[in-house]
Amino acid sequence: MKKNASIHRTAQALLALAAIAASGSVLAAGNAVLAIHQAPETLDPYNTNTTLTTAVTKSFYEGLFGFDKDMKVQNVLAESYTVSKDGLVYTFTLRKGVKFHDGTDFNAEAAKATLDRVMDPANRLLRANQFNRVAKVEAVNPQTLRITLKEPFGPFINALAHASAAMISPTALKKWGNKDIAFHPVGTGPFEFVEWKQTDAIVGKKFAGYWKQGYPKIDQVSWKPVPENSTRAAMLQTGEADFVFTLPYEQVATLEKSDKVEVVSAPSIIQRFLTFNMLQKPFDNPKVREAIGYAINKEALAKVAFNGYAFAAQGFVPQGVEYAVKMQPIPYNVQKAKELLKEAGYPNGFESTLWSGYNNTTSQKTIQFLQQQLAQVGIKVSLEALEPGKRAELVDSWPDPKTAKVRLYYIGWSSSTGEADWAMRPLFATESWAPKLANYAFYSNPIVDESIAKALVSTDSAERATLYKNAQEQLAKDLPRIPLVTEKVLYAHSKRLSGVYVMPDGNINSSEIALK
Amino acid sequence: MLNYFLKRLLGLLPTLLIVAVLVFFFVHMLPGDPARLAAGQDADEATIQLVRQELGLDKPLPEQFLNFFMHMVQGDFGTSMRTRRPVLVEISERFMPTLLLTVTSMVWSVIFGMGIGIMSAVYRNKWPDRLGMTLAVSGISFPAFALGMLLMQIFSVNLGWLPTVGADSWRHYILPSLTLGAAVAAVMARFTRASFVEVVQEDFVRTARAKGLNERVVVLKHCLRNALIPVITMMGLQFGFLLGGSIVVESVFNWPGLGRLLVDAVTMRDYPVIQTLVLLFSLEFILINLVVDMLYGFINPTIRYK
Repeated sequence: MKKNASIHRTAQALLALAAIAASGSVLAAGNAVLAIHQAPETLDPYNTNTTLTTAVTKSFYEGLFGFDKDMKVQNVLAESYTVSKDGLVYTFTLRKGVKFHDGTDFNAEAAKATLDRVMDPANRLLRANQFNRVAKVEAVNPQTLRITLKEPFGPFINALAHASAAMISPTALKKWGNKDIAFHPVGTGPFEFVEWKQTDAIVGKKFAGYWKQGYPKIDQVSWKPVPENSTRAAMLQTGEADFVFTLPYEQVATLEKSDKVEVVSAPSIIQRFLTFNMLQKPFDNPKVREAIGYAINKEALAKVAFNGYAFAAQGFVPQGVEYAVKMQPIPYNVQKAKELLKEAGYPNGFESTLWSGYNNTTSQKTIQFLQQQLAQVGIKVSLEALEPGKRAELVDSWPDPKTAKVRLYYIGWSSSTGEADWAMRPLFATESWAPKLANYAFYSNPIVDESIAKALVSTDSAERATLYKNAQEQLAKDLPRIPLVTEKVLYAHSKRLSGVYVMPDGNINSSEIALK
Repeated sequence: MLNYFLKRLLGLLPTLLIVAVLVFFFVHMLPGDPARLAAGQDADEATIQLVRQELGLDKPLPEQFLNFFMHMVQGDFGTSMRTRRPVLVEISERFMPTLLLTVTSMVWSVIFGMGIGIMSAVYRNKWPDRLGMTLAVSGISFPAFALGMLLMQIFSVNLGWLPTVGADSWRHYILPSLTLGAAVAAVMARFTRASFVEVVQEDFVRTARAKGLNERVVVLKHCLRNALIPVITMMGLQFGFLLGGSIVVESVFNWPGLGRLLVDAVTMRDYPVIQTLVLLFSLEFILINLVVDMLYGFINPTIRYK
């Protein structure tokens, strides 16, 4: 009896200890912690090409336009706009009564200062090429901004809606200078910058003077980079994080069991491809490319490597991107593949190499699956998953296409502006041959080049639709890449958090963030 | 003794110099273009060229080396290519968390490791020895990654006693230091035991017992002191390794330390950060070795320095 009592006491003491420990980790009300898998390298939206970095900068900055959670363009700091007939002059009416965090008024002068900064080559900003079609920016009056383009540019509004086209306070820009503004973001966004502890988190507090009445609905937001997958999942379970992205497939089952957590999956515009080096035998032969298309079971790939969080790609441009043509996936047909190889002169197959542009687990599984599928039709491939530095050396910056060692290459793409030009031109246009952009197939077709170029300068929606359709149909004939799967985005949040969404391009929309 | 110490400190300089030269050229021989990596996937060639100029990578290699070297001598280690912040700031804000974690891990693992080692040696081939060595072998063979995840699952997720990530309070140190120290404790236990078993058979131990000394005095005074030399050597080595920041433990517990910084730097080919970190790790090792050498003298006064 006495012994029991002492066990009881010990248990009580332990419980008390647990309570003390737990109380420390409970978050103050109104403070949301968002755990992400990568550390932002900068807080200057004009100096990054990383999608996730702009997810963070959006807490502090806003642009003239923005994307909603489904990547539809919305007015943000611009209330309306008109385009001249020739598609060259855009006139924007700006929202009234908007202030930057430092009290500076947002007006046409401020917008002009921001855009002039990125266009000035002396500032050496990574996003300069996004605005290289702009001839001049003028502040007509405080509420009217006029932008003149050098040539018509169909997706110009999309370019302005991109998270990197954010409005920066001109006062702050003067105070901190072109470089240091990256460490002191001052925008019109819902949150004011508090601190950036490199090893811990980026913290923002509610901006009292935010123009949108009633927003933001929480007091503080913290973006916490946690690169280790299982650790992010654990943080969600302990309540130390309210939102985690990305979520590894193997954690889903555990998290779904928890009553504090909600797991969300939604279609993305992140597409995975198998590309061929079309300058090299045997991939210069269209029959070989077609045969490989038939040899791969895309549904099985989605199940095996992506645990079902992907589906067979429906064409070259994923659904959700404007002007995407929905196509049937190339059916899985080993017999047909073998016949095509025979016709191409490779009845016994051949040997080649298959590289992956990523070295994460999912990609390793994918290339192993592809290797096994290709072996069924007699194509023996040796595998290598390239780590980032090696990939940069061998693929992204290999100077001469003719000597490029890439043969079969597994890689992905998502159009960060959510429109067809950026989904096709970097991948398939002759001007985009690696190392310039991502045409790793060294594919060149006049119809595709012309359609893409014409669509880019057209402002007529119907004409653009036809042009992009032509290009995509040509791609289906030529098969410079085999579309494999379209991924689903997978993320989880605590039940007390709402209004944070992972968008189809893998960016995060947190404009409606709220806590229960 | 002081003379010897100063001489060794001076000898440090040429070693570091050689390390600096070697690491510069090795790092630049790694495949991969930092400008390409820093510019990101969407970047076109003009953008990459821009970044290359910005980072000073368009200059010939000898000029880059000269630049790096002249700045280094003046104590300027450059700016990180990834974050554009001074390398010294990046390293200094991560140094203390790594040092503190290393020290806490070392303290408990040395106490436990040596304790188990001595017990095992004294009760050689009896049950305390078997138990101790079973623990030690498990400690060595259990991967730190798995141990970390397991501890986190039990104590943070299931029981909710301890926080998962961060380094703000003492409670944050418990799980990472347990994980980090487990392998060290195991190594220490095996080393102490091996060394002790040898010493126990020496003549002077028999003499000590023969003159009627208490067994505790024999073990803790006569044996331990003599068995300590290889153990101290091992301790120094382990300490040096841990100071480099454990990549695995730091990523599991999201520890703001040097190991993660090194991994990030290597992935992005962040030359200045890699160079400075390797220099720092070399310096740490040289200093620890020096301290270990000095300790020999205290443990065994017959060792003399010239």
